[in-house]
Order: sequence, then C-alpha cells, then structure tokens
Amino acid sequence: MRRPASSGDFLSGLALAALGTYVVVEAHGWTYMGEDGPGPGFFPTWYGSIMVLLSLALVVRSLRAPAGAPASPVRWREVGRALMTWAAFVACIALMNWIGFAVSFALLTWFLITVLARKRQRVAIPLAIAGAVLFQVVFSVLLQVNLPNGVFF
Amino acid sequence: MEMLSSLIHGFEVATTPAALGMCVLGVVLGTVIGVLPGLGPSATIAMLLPLTFKLDPAGAMIMLAGIYYGAKYGGSTTSILLNVPGENSSIVTCIDGYQMARKGRAGPALGMAAIASFIAGTFGVVALMLVAPPLAQLSLAFSSPEYFALMVMGLAMVVLLAGDSLVKALLAMLVGLWISSIGTDLFTATTRFAFGQVELLGGIEFIIVAIGVFAVGEVLGNVEPDEPPTMIPVPKGLRNLLPTREDMKRCRFAFVNGSVVGFLIGCLPGAGSTIASFISYGIEKAFSRHPEEFGHGAIEGVAAPEGSNNAETGGALVPLLTLGIPGSSTTAILLAALILWGFKPGPLFIQDQPALFWGLVASMYIGNVLLLILNLPMVAVFAQLLRVPAYVIYPLIFGVSAVGVYSESSSMFDLGLLALFGLLGYAMRKLHYPSAPLVLGLVLGAPMERALRQSLMMSQGSLSILFRPIPASLLVAAALLLLIPLIRRLNAARLQVLDREEA
Amino acid sequence: MQGIRRILALAVPALALAVSPLAHGEFKPTRPVDIIVHTGPGGGNDILARAVVTMMEKEKLVPVRMQVLNKPGGGGAVAAAAVYERKDDPYTIGFITSVWLATALTAKEAKVTVYDLKPIAQLVREPAVFAVRADSPYKTLRQFIDAAKAHPGQLKQSGGSITSRDDIIREQLQHATGAKWAYVSFPSGGDRLAALLGGHVDIMVIEPQEAGENVRAGKLRVLAQLSETRLPKWPDVPTLKEAGFDVTPTPQIRGVVAPPQMPADAAAYWIDRFEKLTHTASWKKYLEENELEPAFVPGDAFLESMKETSAELREQYQKAGVKVYR
Repeated sequence: MRRPASSGDFLSGLALAALGTYVVVEAHGWTYMGEDGPGPGFFPTWYGSIMVLLSLALVVRSLRAPAGAPASPVRWREVGRALMTWAAFVACIALMNWIGFAVSFALLTWFLITVLARKRQRVAIPLAIAGAVLFQVVFSVLLQVNLPNGVFF
Repeated sequence: MEMLSSLIHGFEVATTPAALGMCVLGVVLGTVIGVLPGLGPSATIAMLLPLTFKLDPAGAMIMLAGIYYGAKYGGSTTSILLNVPGENSSIVTCIDGYQMARKGRAGPALGMAAIASFIAGTFGVVALMLVAPPLAQLSLAFSSPEYFALMVMGLAMVVLLAGDSLVKALLAMLVGLWISSIGTDLFTATTRFAFGQVELLGGIEFIIVAIGVFAVGEVLGNVEPDEPPTMIPVPKGLRNLLPTREDMKRCRFAFVNGSVVGFLIGCLPGAGSTIASFISYGIEKAFSRHPEEFGHGAIEGVAAPEGSNNAETGGALVPLLTLGIPGSSTTAILLAALILWGFKPGPLFIQDQPALFWGLVASMYIGNVLLLILNLPMVAVFAQLLRVPAYVIYPLIFGVSAVGVYSESSSMFDLGLLALFGLLGYAMRKLHYPSAPLVLGLVLGAPMERALRQSLMMSQGSLSILFRPIPASLLVAAALLLLIPLIRRLNAARLQVLDREEA
Repeated sequence: MQGIRRILALAVPALALAVSPLAHGEFKPTRPVDIIVHTGPGGGNDILARAVVTMMEKEKLVPVRMQVLNKPGGGGAVAAAAVYERKDDPYTIGFITSVWLATALTAKEAKVTVYDLKPIAQLVREPAVFAVRADSPYKTLRQFIDAAKAHPGQLKQSGGSITSRDDIIREQLQHATGAKWAYVSFPSGGDRLAALLGGHVDIMVIEPQEAGENVRAGKLRVLAQLSETRLPKWPDVPTLKEAGFDVTPTPQIRGVVAPPQMPADAAAYWIDRFEKLTHTASWKKYLEENELEPAFVPGDAFLESMKETSAELREQYQKAGVKVYR
C-alpha cells in the first residue's frame, strides 16, 4: 500500500468511518420505521451510512493522490504548543470548582503569558491578577452572573 | 390614512421623556448583553421582569423590546474581533467578519454590521407595522412540510460553505447532524447517543459547540507559532474605520437580502434567527459576482447575516403580537411579560391595545436610530481592542468563553464540553475541515428531522404532503443549489478543454 | 426541703419554656436561598420561581434574598441531581413540575429522581382544555370522538412529547371509546397552536390561558375541560365527566422539593412559608391571571399524591409502548 500523501486525510477519514459505523450500529437498536412514520433510527441510519461512504472515499482519495504532492510537514513542536495550551485550559476548568473561577483563571493567564509567550514575571503576574479581578468584578458583581465558587471565593 | 394617525399617536406615546428613557436604557443594555458572549437577551429579560412590575407597561415593554433587538446589534462585536459569537445568530458573522478583522478591516466590518442592522431593523419595523395581521395568517400556512423543505434548502447551502473540499464539508455537516440528534427523541422518548450521561439527555446546547469550535479552536490554532503573529494593523482615523463608499455599493443587494429574508423567516415561529442568518448568507454568496471571496473577508458576508438577524426581530413580533405565538425563547419571555402585565397578545391585540402596539412600533424606529448613533462611534473604541497583545487576548477569549457557557446552565459538564469542542475545532483546522458546515448541520439537524416526522405523521405516511406548492418549490431550490458545484466543475472542465485547444 | 421542691416545680417548666425554642431548633434563614429550576431563564418554572420570589419579598414572608438557579436539561434530571447534591442544606429548594415524574419513570440515565428528594408542598394544578378551530365541524367532544371512530387514524391532534399529558389523555380516551386518531408531537406550545390554527391538525389540548385570546377573537372553540369541576373563567364548557367520558386525566402540577436530608425544622419552615403564601392576595391574583388552580398539598400528602400519579403514568406509558425503567 502506498503511503498516503496526506496522512491527515487518511486518519481522519478512518476516524469518521468508525464514527459512522458506530452511529449505524446504534441506530440498528432503535425503530427504523414505526407505524406513525420514521422512528428514531431512521435519520441516524442515513447520515451514519453516508458518513461511512464519504469518509471511505476520503481515505481512498488520500491513498491515490500522487505521492509527489508535498504535504506540508507537520510541525510537531507547534502542535505541542497548541495541545499544551488546551491542557492548561482543561486544568483551569477542572480546578474551577475547587479554587474558584478567579484563582484558576489567574493561573491560566499566568501560564499562557509565562510559558507560551515567554514574557517576564513582572508582566505575567500583574496581568494574571488584573484579568481575574476584572472578570470577577464585571461578571460576578456587576452582572450577577453565576461563576464557579470554590473553597476560597 | 388610519394607519398614519395610529402611528402618530404611537410616536406621542413613545416620545414622552419616560418612554424615551426606557428606550435608551433598553437599547444600551441590549447592546452590552449582545457584546458579551453567552449572556443572552432571554436571560436578561427574565431577570428584569420582577423590576418591571413597578413600571408602566408601555414603558417596560419598550425597554424589554429594546434589549431584544439591541442585543442583535452588539452580537457582531466579538464575532468580528475575536471569532467568539456574541449571540447565537452572530455565528455566521464570524465567518467573514473575523477574516476581515485579521486583514485589518475590523472597523469597516463593525461599521457595516451596525449599518446593515439599522437598515434591516428599520425595514422589519415598517413591515411589522404594515403587514402584520395578513402576514400572520399567511405564516400559519407554514407547517411541518414547509419547514422541512426550508431546512433541506438550508442544508443544501453547505455547498456554498464548502471551500476547497466538498467531501470534507459534507463530512463536517454530517457530524453536525449527529451532534444535533444527541438527546431524548420527542416522539418516542428514546434516548439517543447520550453515553449514559444525564446531562446529555436534553442534547448539547448549540452555543457551547459554536464557541468551542470557533473561538477556542481559533486560539489553539493561533498559539502554534513561537513568535507572536504580526500585529494586525489598526488604521487611524474614523474615516478608515468605517465602510467606504465602495463597500456600501457592494452591499446593496445584501441590505435587501438581509431585510427581506430575515423578516420573512422571523414571521415563521418554527424558524429562528440563526437559520435566517445562514440562509441570507447563502443567498448572498449564491448571487454574488465574486463568491470566492466569501469566507475570506467579503463585507457582504457580514452585511447579509447581520441585517437578517435584525429584521428577524421585527418578523418575530408578528406571530407574537397578532397570534400570541412566540417563535423563540426570547419572544416567549416577552409573551410571559405581557401576560403578567395583564395584556393578552392575540388576534384582537392591535385593536384592543393600540397605544401599546403603536407605541412599541414607534419606539422601535427610535431605538434603531439610537442604536446606529450608539454603535458607530463605538466602532473606533472596539477596534482598539485589536491593539492589545495576543497573549492578553487569548486568556481573555478563554475566560469569556467559559463565563459565557457557564452563565447559561451553571454546569461544569458544559465547560468540559466546551474544552472538548475546542479541541475538535483545533483538529478541524489542522485537518482542513471547514467548521461552518458543522454548525449548519447542528442548527438544522434536529428541526429538520422533527419536521419530516411530523409531516409524515400528518399525512399518515404519504410523501405527497411534501409536494404542496411551498415545500415543492423549496425542495427544487435545494436541488438546484446542490447542482451548483457540479455546474461549476463542468464549467471549469470546459474552460480547461478550451484552453488546451487554443494552446 | 419543701421550699426547694416548690422552686424546682416552678423553675423547671419555666426553664423548659425558655429553652424550648432552642430545643426545637426553630429555623430562620440568615443566608440567601437558592431556588433550583429545571428550565432556562424564561421557561415556565423559571417564571413561576421569579414570581414567587417577588411575592415572598412583597408579602415579607422570608427575611432573606431568594435567587433562582437555572439547571436545565434532561427533563428535570439535572436539576434533581443539583438539589440532591445539597444534602442537608436548608437554604436550597427546588421547583418541580409533573415532567419530573415522567422523567423518573422513563429516563434510564437519571441518577437522581424526584423521589430521592424531600417533598415540601404542591402549589398549583395546571388546567387544560380541548380546543378545535372555530370553523371545524365539531361542536362537542363527542362529535370529534365519533368522527375519529368513523375514520380511524385520520384525525390529528398536536401535542407535546409522547410522555406528556396531552398524549396520556388521548390514550385514555381512545381506550375508553374505541376511537383512534393520530398524534403529532411539537416541542413548544406555540408550534402546536400554529399547527391547529393553520388547519394542519384538528384538535389539541391547550392551557386555557393560551387559548383565551384566540377564543375571544373567534378563532378557536373549546370543547371540554380536563378538570374535575368547571373553572371559573369557563363556566359554559363541560368537564370530561359531564361530557360523558369516564376518564380521569392525570394532574399536571407544580410544587416544591428540598434536598433529601434537610433538617425537619427547616422543612417545616418552608412548608409553613408556602402555605402562608397561598393565602396572600398577590398569590391569588397571580393564579387568577395565569388561570392556575390552587392546589396546596403539604409534605407527605404531596408525596402520596405524586406516587399515585406515577403509578397511573407507568400504566399509561407501558400501554403506549414507552420504556419504563423505574
């Protein structure tokens, strides 16, 4: 098998084919056509099947594309930065219920400025605190919006 | 001219100092609410309801209505500047608006959003005034078969949102359809794709997916390079911050498109402002002379959806005031408010309460003017936001997204979903899957399925119900839309052949 | 010796009297109270909750601030879980509707149901009527049923989900009369009304308040009402029993619940507050304007009534083919 020109297309095609298959299998357990009309299984069966067909077409296309076409090389270092940022966001959310919105947001801001943008502490720390305070004041106090309140505040 | 004298009487009601004060308060509050993502007009109106008991009903209604259509003005701000939809219907504005901002044209984008909103909003009020009762009757002719055909036509517009790869656009749309079917089925109480999670029984809120895929996904994509991206140039001077005469000329069709499409769809209780924005965007692109610019910063791509979501507010008041039928959660609260004050919207509302109706209509004229005056200078202020360094903006986007999502349901689960969809948005960017079709599938999937099943229940299984005049014509339009890429490909092939022959 | 005994004889009851409020631990709130509702802002229960907050304030029934907390999703399952999590907090209450009963029966994924919570009181019943278009050939419910018998499956009713009261009453009537007509589900009341007014369906069950204006304008006709006795605003409309149908509709109620381990005195406090509320003028006015039936039922009696309704619902759902898990 030739190496796919675009492994992104190849892999995402496979993933979507798997999703489509899952959808069709689940839909099989529900009524396809009831006595009053289409049942809950009708639509998922259709869009799941089309998803499988199209994603397999994508996989095939990615295999058949001329190998000479230079797919831009994946810059893993950059992807790493993005994933690290995402992980920081997830951590921020996970911590929110324990330490409150303000503190976890301040931590996230500090992390992004320090690690990602590599600015100095004397920039990062004040901005982190200022951001957290701003959010707390504008949303929690002024607009009376519910923010996750942790153990502290 | 009975209508004219009623309108004059309405202006008398709407221009008392108290009423004007309420109007100003309403539109300012509405704009603020619209600017802030997640904070919607429905939540605000619900929270203000108890306070309005102490006020005179006409004034209170003027204020609440001001919040309602004011929010549509503000919703485009974060969509354009940060790719964060400020309001559900502003998601379409993100597509071209944000691209314009990245090219240094944030000012004209914001300005055009305000201008289009004004033109279409005023059109909506005029239409409401002139044709409300007969149009309400017409809108009753629209039922499930017609809605189904409308949604199909909406989905067919995916070919216009496709960009380079139609296959990937279709796949994104199908994923959107899948997400939209998560939850409890209305007709059989069967739970679909809930993965055993009680929080998924009601489905996934659209705004969580939209903010996750668009805003969070965008930030993740942008943090990749080590060096911060070159600062977007923000031109100086008010003249450079507003749309040029050229821009205004280009958008002539968009103004008409947004106004008419938005208002008509607003009159249909079963279709909302998000659908209106998508359809008018699609129509704009379909009839444009340079469709390839859409998705990369075409100003009409801002004017059309922004106009239509404002005209939609006028349209939505048609079934609300003349039949007592609300078409969205916000109009449902306005209905509740009217009932709480002792008014009963219905066929006799206009003749029983002329002061309230015409006062409201007059105040909407005034409100739209106020909003234009308020928003245009704010363009200069908002555009400065882009001067803020990226490493400050990105945490800001994360924070605003999280607050926006949490404010709706106070649910940590929803925040988890936000992070998940953020990752999805990033993955889609890297793998070159367009995100607009995903949103389109998500918005239209469940309503389309419901409409089809309702139609077949009404016709006892016979498909012929779909061949009534309105659904049939919409379905034909959808089929034609689907043929566009085929025609374009044939055209391109034909031109290639001609080139080769000439060479 | 005698003197001491006499002093003690007086002192002990006096002391007991002085100490007794503390001994009973009478509850008085000193912090803001959360009212958890299962709809988003502007939904039915949200509006009721906000109105209750306003009325409690106006009638000075509760000395602290009350705020509404929206926990939408899963037909009340998410809100139920939110109330449950508050364990013994006397500063949390939840507002429920009959939807919570349906969810308790049909939602497999729900980990907490209304029966895991402490019942405080039922507040109101929501009435309903059968309505057709004014130009329809049916002037009584009997005529509609007869027509449905003659053309089975051809007449159509618009209504909510299959678990809603609209469908239950239809199943009950079909069973009692042998007639058969189709049911088309719409998610919102506005859609259902639009379908009826537009001539796409023939009949619907609607709340009298929603129908009022269209009846007054001559667009709708009301055939029968679902309550036991005639509502004051609809003196000319027969009840189901009066119209000749021996069918008892399942009641649609709104009530208050609390976290499962709320202390007894706090629960008693809340029952008392809500009872006082139902005697106030503002409450009566609210009920009148919104056409709700007063139906205050405290604590355990409320629980009993819910269990009865659930049993009826379970039977109906199973007949209709809906999967019941509890």
